[in-house]
Amino acid sequence: MKARRVEGLDRDVPLRPNAARIVATRLAELLALSGAALDPEAARAQHDLRIAAKRLRYVLEITESCFGAEAETARKAAKQLQGVLGEIHDCDVMLPGAGEIESLQTLLRTRRELLFQRFRELWLAESDRGTWSALEHALQA
Amino acid sequence: MARAREVPGFDCEEPFAAAAARVVRVRAGEVFEHSEGVLDIDEIDHLHDMRVATRRLRAALEVFGDCFPRKRFRKALKKVKALADALGERRDRDVEIEFLSEFAEAAPEAERPAVAARIKSLREEQRQANEDLAPYLEEKRLGKLRRRLEKLVEEVER
Repeated sequence: MKARRVEGLDRDVPLRPNAARIVATRLAELLALSGAALDPEAARAQHDLRIAAKRLRYVLEITESCFGAEAETARKAAKQLQGVLGEIHDCDVMLPGAGEIESLQTLLRTRRELLFQRFRELWLAESDRGTWSALEHALQA
Repeated sequence: MARAREVPGFDCEEPFAAAAARVVRVRAGEVFEHSEGVLDIDEIDHLHDMRVATRRLRAALEVFGDCFPRKRFRKALKKVKALADALGERRDRDVEIEFLSEFAEAAPEAERPAVAARIKSLREEQRQANEDLAPYLEEKRLGKLRRRLEKLVEEVER
């Protein structure tokens, strides 16, 4: 999934406003992809959301000190999302290779279901906690 | 993999391009620091560490892409992506082998030969991935990438 181009960056302007534009774009990508990813069968959407979480995590890893505690909280949440979605992706990648090994297929499917539940709970908890809106607010401060 | 290293002198109020130079220099350094022992399939954490460092460097390049001369930037990013992909191919096999090796112990007796066969096949893919990765880790090639990234940073600092 290609990252959305960030408009209006200027190399001669301080880091903070440039970083705010980048983080805002990456956050918007994450939020736009989340709806589809909450469908348990939507492996592709979950994969795309993982990439979006990774991009947000890494830009915050570089720039979070410009935006305060809200950015750190969001970075940690993005890392957790990336982790659980990564484990879901591992199941999706391993399933075709399980071939005729029924016990392995069962394990991977069950594991995927549990991981999906964990992802869903995590996403809803972070949304309820206001992690993403707090980040948006911090970017505008 | 440890947390990303602090970037000395990092300042949110300094120009975007100056921050780009600082961050990319530190992230590039981390990649080369983790290039030892990567081909050792008995110590898979070495590869994981270099992969994470490469991912962080790639992220930094993408964040600060607009600060760099376009052509030189694209070439550098392409090289870093190619290294990341080669590391990723090996890592995917490492992860699956590790998972299946644990699973094999708990698998039903009747299915253990099939699990062993799958692991054997993955070992072969791992060996191939290592063979494909090896050229990227040659001293000469890593040195060239290091100089390429250094030039990129220097151009921004001018």
